[in-house]
Amino acid sequence: MNREGRAFWWQLAALAAAVACAPLMVGNPYHLNVLNVMALNVLVVTGLNLLIGFAGNISLGHAAFYGLGAYISGILTSTHGWDPWLAMLAAACVVALVALLIGIPTLRLAGNYLVMATLGFNLIVTILILQLDEFTGGPSGFSGIPPLKIMGHSLASDQDFYWLAWTTALLGLLLARNLADSRVGRGLRALHDSPVAAAAVGVPTAAYKVQVFVLSAIYASVAGSLYAHYFGIVSPTTFDIFASVELVTMCLVGGMGNLWGGFFGAAFLTPLPLVLHVFEEYKDIFFGGILLLLLIFQPQGLAGLWARVRGARAARAGEGA
Amino acid sequence: MPETLLSVRDLDMSFGGVQALSQVSFAVPAGRITAVIGPNGAGKTTAINCISGVYRPRGGRVVFNGHTINGQAPHVLARQGLTRTFQNLQVFANLSVLENVMVGLHAVTGRGFVSAMLRLPAQRAEERRIRQQAREALEFLGLQDSASLPAGQLSYGDRKRVELARALVAKPKLVLLDEPVAGLNPAETEDMGQALLAVRQQGVTLVLVEHDMSLVMRVSDQVVVLHFGRKIAQGDPQSIQRHPEVLRTYLGGRDEPIPGLDMDPAPPQEAARA
Amino acid sequence: MSGWEQLSQYVMSGLTTGSIYALAALGFCLIYNATHIVNFAQGDFISLGGLMMYTLLGAAGLPALLALPLAVAVVAGLGVMLEALAIRRAKSRDLTVLIFITVAASALFRGVFKEIWGKQALAVPPLSPDVPLRFLGATLTPQNLWILAITLAAIAVLIYFFNHTLTGRAVRAVAINPKAAALMGIDTRRMVRLSFALAGGLGALAGAIITPITTASYHVGVMMGLKGFAAAVLGGYGNFLGAIVGGLTLGLLESLGAGALSSAYKDVIAFVVLLLVLFIRPRGLLGRGEEARV
Repeated sequence: MNREGRAFWWQLAALAAAVACAPLMVGNPYHLNVLNVMALNVLVVTGLNLLIGFAGNISLGHAAFYGLGAYISGILTSTHGWDPWLAMLAAACVVALVALLIGIPTLRLAGNYLVMATLGFNLIVTILILQLDEFTGGPSGFSGIPPLKIMGHSLASDQDFYWLAWTTALLGLLLARNLADSRVGRGLRALHDSPVAAAAVGVPTAAYKVQVFVLSAIYASVAGSLYAHYFGIVSPTTFDIFASVELVTMCLVGGMGNLWGGFFGAAFLTPLPLVLHVFEEYKDIFFGGILLLLLIFQPQGLAGLWARVRGARAARAGEGA
Repeated sequence: MPETLLSVRDLDMSFGGVQALSQVSFAVPAGRITAVIGPNGAGKTTAINCISGVYRPRGGRVVFNGHTINGQAPHVLARQGLTRTFQNLQVFANLSVLENVMVGLHAVTGRGFVSAMLRLPAQRAEERRIRQQAREALEFLGLQDSASLPAGQLSYGDRKRVELARALVAKPKLVLLDEPVAGLNPAETEDMGQALLAVRQQGVTLVLVEHDMSLVMRVSDQVVVLHFGRKIAQGDPQSIQRHPEVLRTYLGGRDEPIPGLDMDPAPPQEAARA
Repeated sequence: MSGWEQLSQYVMSGLTTGSIYALAALGFCLIYNATHIVNFAQGDFISLGGLMMYTLLGAAGLPALLALPLAVAVVAGLGVMLEALAIRRAKSRDLTVLIFITVAASALFRGVFKEIWGKQALAVPPLSPDVPLRFLGATLTPQNLWILAITLAAIAVLIYFFNHTLTGRAVRAVAINPKAAALMGIDTRRMVRLSFALAGGLGALAGAIITPITTASYHVGVMMGLKGFAAAVLGGYGNFLGAIVGGLTLGLLESLGAGALSSAYKDVIAFVVLLLVLFIRPRGLLGRGEEARV
């Protein structure tokens, strides 16, 4: 295993340790709730990062996939009495299919048509959720969604859900990392750098882009299902186009193309508006301003900043030796 | 005469009314080096792009290894053993040198998303094989010391060699080389010439588009001359050097073409101005 | 109301909103042609146009003849600021990064507008007193006519500018080939900045003339901007004539579709059209296909 591979394991182990210790230090259940939302965002943004960072395509529709996962899970369990786990699986399958249908026609084209299509898609999904109130509850939301259960034990409490959410998030990171450091992952990164050269050595560029898009949509769908079963209620604004922009913001702030980018972005941006209520009022200024400054001056995001600081320290250490 | 690996028949290509190739035909014998030469704007890169599937030719046929391959996608051709390098370097700048060459094995490996994410045993075995073969290819071209560097940081000459290693690592039948020594200094050019002959030794068929006449005359078994999108001559290097039409339109009278300024497939008058 | 009158009514209202989409789409095209950036702040230019008219016309009591050019100038200034302070300063030249700078700017603008003008809907006085008119069986307000007239005038001015002035031709030259344009001595930076100013001005114009009908608010332009974007894609992204055709077509489709089906799904139509165009004919109605180049 190479040095980077070993470094990843240390970093993942450190994060897992932090995750294990955090509940001991967090007394306030509301803060635990914030950490739970953070875990879900880590999951969505990690998937989004695979698409943005490795394939170079942007989706402005991931909130819609997140929302579809949540609503399908909610409707199947609450209205149709399905088992939540089965509903989660079904939601992921439906979302994968939808992503496939959007991805196939748009990703074979050069240029970023995906961002346009996903933008339109997210707007359509929001309007449909609002208008089909017979099934979705409309603007007031859909409630009465049962919690997930493991061997009869309900995961409704903040504490119980915490373990589930963070286990899933860490697993999502691990799987993403496995993908990035593999034949397929190299192919994806290669096609980001030069699509013609990647194709010339056998990388099926269009198929890979579609597959990674579908994969990232599945990440969002799973997170959405978890969200629905955790809160028990879902409402349309959680999944509108501005939520998609926030997700992309987390990805870019964290550092696109860096595995830890999704974690950094979600960890940094999730708690601030939730913990500090003043930010609710200034949310747009806050998100817009941070993203603007980072994109202008630090396009590699927080993960890039971290790597640069580490690099500078290593260089200083090297000079000293 | 060895069997024909690639044959191009009556190839036609045009861009917005400019005829870039018309009725171009030639055959590439297996295991040999064929050079395609011609002044700027002659249609050389267009020919490479038509053969490698980047463009779909307007007319004619490209037959590779017994199959017509017109309009087949580049990644499909790569699986059949046809790959290429690029005139304007196309290394994967954000990947390490080793990873660049590992990507070169894409066509001959097959593990997908699921087995990569789950690290299945078959995937790990394949990964080890990919790494091993890529290292061997780097050693073949003397790049083993820069294996872990990001490819974007290498010198121009080294990046050219990374491209060649990436093209060769999967042991393709045919490699199309678009100006392999453009921009290289004489020593690097000499090294590249040696490398090409060594590749030929291994039985790989090469087609190169090149402006460096001394290299072309030294390494190639066969030379095809294009001019204004038409083939004007074909033969071994010695006969091409004496070919009257080649002398008249290309080698004779005019200055040596300047490497790296090929405006192909720009219309000839524009290229002349440049 | 007879069927004919109803149809006439739908067509007139479709052309009115279509004009706004066309102006927004033209703004998208201008910036795209100059920089290849999809400017997601175009909708906020529209919002600001309406908000400025509310302040200048309603609160400050300026005459329309003064308020309109002033609003256009302010938003054009915002466009220039977006280019000079954000796009130009960006360290990265990656298009993804540049496009998301406009997404970020859009959120920031929206937040700032909300702080200045509040969240409520603001009534903007029409350009001339509201007396209903009858035209081909449809009931119109003078504002409908103002919208059509001002849009036509703006298009005429743009056509004159791009075809008959040196600066306009220079902008076009930069769009076609920036390197060649720079070699010919054209100041490409100035032309890019001018494109942002024009896009801002067109957005302001759209916002100024539509808000007497819709009311102004900090986010009124967002949906119009997105539909303008759909219109630009429908017409062929980057194509000026396509933007106009796409805008009017979309306005008509929306109005007729809402009439024929249900007004609840009116907003879906534009985006369903957007998806269909991308799936079936991504170069749009009037766009030309591009050959892949190596």
